[in-house]
Amino acid sequence: METILLTLNEYWTLFIRIMPFLFQGFIETFKVSLVAILAGSTLGFAIGILRTERIPVLNPLLALYIHVLRGTPFLVQLYIFYYVMPNLNISWLQWDATTAAFVALSIYTSSYVSEIVSSAIQTVPEGQWNAATALGLTHTQTLRLIILPQAMRLMVPSMSGVYVMIIKSTAILSVVAITELTRQGQSMIQLNARYTLFIWLVVAGFYFIYCYPVLRFARWAEKKLGISKPIELN
Amino acid sequence: MEWLLDYYNYRIVGQYLDQLAYGFGQTLFAAGLSLILSITIGLVLALMRLSKHGIFWRPVSAYIEFIRATPLLVQIYIIYYGLPSLFPSTARWNELWPGIIALSLHTAAYMAEIIRAGIVSVPKGQIEGAKSVGMTYTQRLRYIILPQAFANVLPPLLGQTAVLVKDTSLLSIITVFEIMSAGLLINSERVKPNESFLTIAACYLVIYVALLGLSHLIKTYLAGPAWNAKR
Repeated sequence: METILLTLNEYWTLFIRIMPFLFQGFIETFKVSLVAILAGSTLGFAIGILRTERIPVLNPLLALYIHVLRGTPFLVQLYIFYYVMPNLNISWLQWDATTAAFVALSIYTSSYVSEIVSSAIQTVPEGQWNAATALGLTHTQTLRLIILPQAMRLMVPSMSGVYVMIIKSTAILSVVAITELTRQGQSMIQLNARYTLFIWLVVAGFYFIYCYPVLRFARWAEKKLGISKPIELN
Repeated sequence: MEWLLDYYNYRIVGQYLDQLAYGFGQTLFAAGLSLILSITIGLVLALMRLSKHGIFWRPVSAYIEFIRATPLLVQIYIIYYGLPSLFPSTARWNELWPGIIALSLHTAAYMAEIIRAGIVSVPKGQIEGAKSVGMTYTQRLRYIILPQAFANVLPPLLGQTAVLVKDTSLLSIITVFEIMSAGLLINSERVKPNESFLTIAACYLVIYVALLGLSHLIKTYLAGPAWNAKR
């Protein structure tokens, strides 16, 4: 009994000691994911809408952009943004690790968001377009006032799913020395090597607290908005 | 071709063909074995998740939520460092094995959700019909439910397989020598990021395009009744 209490006490002291550092890392994870989600969604929205317009020449290029981003692991993309881009001898591409990480994650996000946006727009029935044209609305007006409001509703659950994926992908940024949650966990382990497993479980707990509400929101939104068949990303 | 050498020196890549081929093989091996394991575990999890008894579905549901809400990288670390402390004999294992275990356990949660959706999509009449001709639970599963369930969810299963192939790149972080590590080797020995990472990206794209082609084939050849039942 006494030994168990001693061990518990030991873990508790360690927990208190590592908490401020992990929390610092969590704040960084939160910031990086938020910026990437905002920037990536904006870019993804633009690409998604452009794709439904089926502009010649541009459309195959956008399709290639999406396929390349979805066909390679994020780790490879991150290394390309971190090592290859600054190596191209173009002055404005000579960025540091933080910028490379932000740009890589935002572009990665955009590929998933654009897929959702374009398939949501295509899900809106054709009759909506016809009716709007009959009423004399222009193409832009139809898109802005009729199609997008309906498409947005369909996007909510899938979009939350993508955001969870992006939050989880920020863990990979630890390989380019961004001091986010996973990286902070690694530094804590270097100082307390005996408790490796425990520290990883605490780190996992942090991610769970961040991601689980978003996952629950996705499911709630799916029910609330009455979407029987959410847009699948495959 | 001389101008190309400044940006992409294919001769350097040629010198590392052996390592790249070995890494490519390891990637395919890790992905293939994880795929088989994850579908097997996923099927068991899906059946447990669909059970009426709390002792079966509650823990499975918690497991799936935990896997889906934490990053794969952290899960790999937990398995990689946790396995030897639970089973000391695994400390002598090659890093590939904890890697494959972590990947399988991770993907199994997603596979379970997909397979569950497939089982739910089988019309109730099919199960009632099977019951009325006197089939047992195992027989119903084997001959009626699973064939239709898998046919219905083949596209998302393939999509998840593509994700699995990409996820194997994270094994390089626990020093498994797969294609990503082969690229990192070129970069660390020659300091040639273009040659190493662009080659790796191309290798992953080859697998992705192959899977994309496979999914098109399936869509054409499987446009039978089971496929239409979903729509």
